[in-house]
This record gives sequence, structure tokens and C-alpha cells, in this order.
Amino acid sequence: MTNVRGFKRGGVSTVSRIHYHSEPIENAFLPMNALLLLRENQFSVEAKPVVSEGQEVKEGQLVARGYGKNSSHVHSPIPGIVRRIGKTVTPDGYETTSIVISLEGSFSVLGKRPERYLWRSLNKTDISHIIQDKGLMRVSTGEPLHQIISDCSKRDGIIIAVNALEMDQYRRVEEEIMLRRINDVVDACAIAARMVKPDRIVFMIDTDFPKAQIPVIMLAAAQTELEISVERFQRRFPQDLPRQIAIALGLKDDSSLCILEPSTLVVLHDAIVSNKPHIEQYVYIGGGAMKAPVILKARIGTTIGDLIEECGGFSGQPDRICINDPYRGLAAADLDVPLTRSTRAVLALTKHETKPASERPCNRCGNCLRACPEGLHPYLLNKLLLADKIEEAFAAGLGRCTFCGACAYTCWSRIPLVERFKSVCLKDKSR
Amino acid sequence: MKSIPETNLTAPHIHDWHTTSKAAWICSATLMPVVMASVLLYGMPAVSVWIASLIGAILAETLVAVALKKLSLSDGSSVLTSLLVACAIPPGAPFYIPVSASLFAILGIKTVFGGLGSNWMNPALGGIAFAYANWPNAMRRFMLPSGMVNIDGLSASTPLDVARNFNGTEASRVMDAFRTVGYPLSDIDITVTGFLNDSLFSHLGARLPEGYVDLIIGLKPGTLGESTLLAVLAGSIVLLAFNLIKLEIPLGMIVAFSILSRIFGTGLPGEELFGGDILFALSSGGFMLATFYMATDPVTSPVDHRLAGLYGLGIGALAFIFRRWGAHAEGIVYAILVMNILVPTVERKLMPGLKASERATVL
Repeated sequence: MTNVRGFKRGGVSTVSRIHYHSEPIENAFLPMNALLLLRENQFSVEAKPVVSEGQEVKEGQLVARGYGKNSSHVHSPIPGIVRRIGKTVTPDGYETTSIVISLEGSFSVLGKRPERYLWRSLNKTDISHIIQDKGLMRVSTGEPLHQIISDCSKRDGIIIAVNALEMDQYRRVEEEIMLRRINDVVDACAIAARMVKPDRIVFMIDTDFPKAQIPVIMLAAAQTELEISVERFQRRFPQDLPRQIAIALGLKDDSSLCILEPSTLVVLHDAIVSNKPHIEQYVYIGGGAMKAPVILKARIGTTIGDLIEECGGFSGQPDRICINDPYRGLAAADLDVPLTRSTRAVLALTKHETKPASERPCNRCGNCLRACPEGLHPYLLNKLLLADKIEEAFAAGLGRCTFCGACAYTCWSRIPLVERFKSVCLKDKSR
Repeated sequence: MKSIPETNLTAPHIHDWHTTSKAAWICSATLMPVVMASVLLYGMPAVSVWIASLIGAILAETLVAVALKKLSLSDGSSVLTSLLVACAIPPGAPFYIPVSASLFAILGIKTVFGGLGSNWMNPALGGIAFAYANWPNAMRRFMLPSGMVNIDGLSASTPLDVARNFNGTEASRVMDAFRTVGYPLSDIDITVTGFLNDSLFSHLGARLPEGYVDLIIGLKPGTLGESTLLAVLAGSIVLLAFNLIKLEIPLGMIVAFSILSRIFGTGLPGEELFGGDILFALSSGGFMLATFYMATDPVTSPVDHRLAGLYGLGIGALAFIFRRWGAHAEGIVYAILVMNILVPTVERKLMPGLKASERATVL
């Protein structure tokens, strides 16, 4: 437990960290209008609306039903009236159906004491149904959680890896959840363990995580009959690629890994124990253009503009606003982008942080080779793609690229490597 | 609430502070100690060479801007190239040598192959080789730095030439040979060497011969860049601290060059095998400047760090062979150029991380 594990290859080390003053996490104001996207990302399938315009909905009421793979139910985060069902473009540029709900009427969840169900009496099928019915999602990837859990429960020798690693200098959500709601996280692990029947559960924490908290984790773990261990990791980006986690944990491949984040686990806990659908989300709001970073518990469908306003607005001119990861995340085109179930952070970055510069030709500095966690040669792939040699680029390993963005982060010439790779890979997939 | 500007919104949203142009400008700035030292040593003749070389670069960039309708002076690489070209030119050289050498470097080597990042040969070294080929005599005509005593004709030749042309009787050490022919010693050297011997080396049972301090602080005839080793080392520390160069290249070069120098020496009559003088080999001539500033040019050196070490070893070995048995007293320029040419082949054969078949088709 004392020795620090690390990832062998590539990556960008993120040693310096933005200071975060830990305060109790507050609930954000309810939005006047909640904008619900029925499609989480490019891989997911749209849910079908089951309400009509003008209909009154309660807090937590099902408004759209998911059908089939990569599709999940959507619930109303606020009580109100369905104003509009129309089309919106997601931050990653895909068109999706959206539902706008205006706040009205009385609350059924907020202000009441959370219900506490004794989940231990539930059997596997019940839990599986609840996870599906409440529209739970894995927060890091936006995949439906029931799908992941049922996939893993079909396999033997699963290891649940609770990934509490914060990879970049900004985000703190997972760490704060680990500090504040460790009992709920461990409980959720027990719930997941009932479904998946894992061999063991590993908590992955990074070297900046307060050491004093480790005994607390172990104490919480001792109350369950689970085999829980804690592994410390060197801070670095990226640290959430399943294949790398598997190698770092000494496994052969990632087929026996079930990676869940604390933020996903608390949602799972709230759904099973408090009967709450996935309508709330812990969000880190920070970046150089904000006065101080804040973590809020906000309702899905709140626009990021409202969240930023609630934190006191911009204190500097933001160069760009990014959602989630500063390396891989999406850039918000405007402040009306809503919070989704896979949003963990909103970062308003100044020019000082984005460090924009004009793109220049590659001068072979070799940083991308050292940064690539997959051991690829990004400079070479770029060269091949510029020469339109797509087949050769795939022969050189383009297919293994995870689009983590480490190479483009270190690139001296500011070549948009990831963007180029992504567009070619997507085109190839559709071919 | 302030609006968000519409920039190109592609991930990643944050970047490392390095940019290509910043690297070039920092690299140029680290040459400032060399510039200042040369001006202190030689005065106006040095200033005229630096300025002529810069004028050549600006002229070349103007021509490029007119012809290709793009201004690339701001990326700093032309200024760096012109400074490095001037480093290899002796002070007092006629102004047309630095001007045309940097013109050729930027136009003939960099621009015609497609500009920054596309040249297969280090532009500065190309310009220097151009000057060597066209004005061999002017490029080997040195002047005395101020503060060095003139002894009829001898002292205007570089230490390397003195060691090369030594044909006296037995002298197993380079410094002994220098004293035999009466190569001048400065007061600074005598004072500093005496102090070092009294305070440090005497306790270790060793003795530093006089003459090395003169070589290190630049009291020797030579080109602008090679004169003051101390200034070069100061700049190279900054380069390494800012992570602008691959450490493997200078390391490989110094290792290979030192070992070969120890084994085969400088070619003095009385020299034994394994009796060479490493300190003299490294501190005379332009080896150190070329090591940190010219061989490390990322465009013409291998991308991979492991290959960069190999590349450094190759340059070190070739530089020694050219210096010891070649026609010129200084072989480092051609050693780097030869290895520049070999880089694509070496990458095709040895690039780590790719299978042999992939290398053949891809690279």
C-alpha cells in the first residue's frame, strides 16, 4: 500500500496543481429551464420522448425511454412543464432530440429527507432493473451503467477498479467525493459487487490524495465483507485507459477490469438506497477565468452559463470553455450548453492556460513520442496523413490511438494531432 | 458576462509552454554570452561579423517574404541560423563571407527544401560548409584577441593548428609541445592555474599544466563561437534546463570524442597510445559549440531519444576521425553534416516501436 505504482509508458506529468479550498459541497440553484439532451455522445442511441409538449412533469419523472444498446432513460431533473421537444446540437457536434422543461409546481425530491431503502434485501434482478430504470450512466464515458454491469457479471474473475485518480491540474470531483462520501462509495461498491461478484476491489488513489484518508477507506471497507485494497499512483495524464490500468495493476489485459469512478458509485448508491434517478451531478467549476474553483451538485440540464454565474461569473477573459478534461474534453461553443450525465467539470480557461500559438510545421522535437501512452509515433502518423497515406498510417498503429491528447499537448508546433487522427479514424469506421 | 471568442475549438485545450518559435528565440538568447565574450575579446571585427550575418538573414527572409508572400522572420529560426553561422567565422573576415553564408544557409538549404522543419541538412552548417569551400584562406585567417602577446606569426594560428603542425623533438603532452614552441601564456592563466594547483590539485597529488585556462576563457585565436568555452557552457546549461535539446546527443558526442581522443591523441611525435589529452581536445576548437548548438538541431537529428544517443556517438567518432586524420584542423562541421545525411536511413533501419516490415513501408 505504501509503494507507489505508475504507468510505464508515455503520458504528461501534471505535478503542479491548482489550489482548491475544500468546502462542503453545495447544491446549485435549480435552473429555470432545463435542457435535456436525449443522446449523451456520438456512440449512444437517442432515447424516445414519452411526454408531449405542454405536459406537466414531476421531479424525477421519466421523460424519455431508452431502447436498445447504448441508450438510457432520461428523467426530468425539475418539476415543471414540457415547453418544447426539438433538435439541438451536442457539444461534440451531433444532432439530437432535446426536451426543454420549465420550472413550475412542487418538489418531490428536494427539501425532503432522502429515503433509505435497505438494499441488502434486494436481489440481483431487482438491482439490475433499478439501475436501468433510473437511467444511470458511467460518468466518465457516458455509457449506460446497466450495460457495463451486466457485461461484467457474465464474466469470471472480475476486478472492480475504483478510479479516483484526478489526472489534470484542475479537477477534484473524485477526490472530494472520496473524502466526503466514502461510506456511500463503499456501499455502492458492495451493491456493484452483488451484481458482478468480483474477485477483489481496488481503490486507485493518486499521490496527492491525503494519506490520512486511507485508514478511513479501510475502516469503511471493513464493515462490508469485501476484499478491498488501496493502490497509490503517480500523478500523470492519462490514467483512465483500461489497458494501462490493467498493466499497472499487473493484469494481462483489460477484459477482467470493471472501472468505476466514485462519482458513478455515488449515483449508484443514491439510486438504490435513496431511489433517486440520475438527475444530479457533481461538477467542478474552475479554470483561470474563475475567481476560485468550486464543486457544485447541480441538476442535469442546467446550462453551464448558469453554473458559472452562480460561482460569481468570470473574473478574467476566458479564451475557451471546456467541458470535462482539458486534454480531451469538448469545447463549449456558447454558454447555453447544458450539463449532462457525463459532465464532471466545466473549465473556463484563459489565454495564459490555453497558450494558443499558430500551427507550424513539425520540427521533429520528439516530445510526442515520449508523451504517447500507446507507444505510437504521432509525428510520423501526422506526416503520413498529410501525405494522404491512410493505409500506411494504420499500419503504423493509428488504430491504437486513444485520442488522449498527450501528444498534442506537448507539441511545440501546435499541430492538432488528435483532431487529425480522430477525423481519419471516424471516416475509416464509417467506410 | 463576457462573450467567448470563436477560436478553433479543438482538444487539447491546454498546452505545454514550448513553441517552435519560443525555442528558437531562447536558443538565440543563450548565444548572447558568446556574442558578448567575442566582442570583448576582438572588438569591432567581431561586431562586424555578427551584424553582417544578421543582415544576411534579414535579406534572405525579405527575399522569401517577397517570393512566397509569407513572413517567417518571427519564428526566430533564421536569426538563430545566422548567429550560428557567424559563430564559425573568424573575426575580421570580410563582410561578404558572413552575409553570403547566412544567405545560402537560409535560402539554399532551408527555404528551397520547404522551409522550417523540412530541411535535411542543418542550415547553419550548410552555410558554414559553403563558406569553407569558397573562401578557404579567409576562413583560416585568425586574429589575436586583445590581451594576448604576439610572438612573430606563431600566435595567430589556432591551438589546433599549433598541435597539428608541431614538428619539434619529443613531446608527449600537448601543453609541453606548446611551451616548447613558445606559445604565449597570459597572466590570468598563470595566476588561476597557480591558485588551482596550490589550493586544490596539490592536495590530490596532481598538477594542472599552464595553458588550459587560456583555452577555456578564449585567450587564443579562433572563430567567434569557439573562442570562449565558458560562454558556450553557460548557454548550454540554459538549453538543457529549458528542455530544448535532447541530452543524449551531446552526451554521446562527448563520450565518443573523449574516448577516441584518449586513445589516439592529437598526433604529436612522442605521444603514446592511450595518452591523449581529453581536456585539450574538448577545449580547443569548436567542438563544444557544435555539440550543444548545431548537432542538437531537432529537425536534422533523430526524433527518437535512443537513436539520438547513437547519432551523438556517430558524430563524436566522425569528428575525431576528421580532426585527427582529415585535411582540416577542425572536422566537426563535416561530421555533423555526414550524420545529418544518415539520419533518414538510420531511422528506417532502427526506429524503435515499429516492426521491421512496418519501418520499410512507413518511413
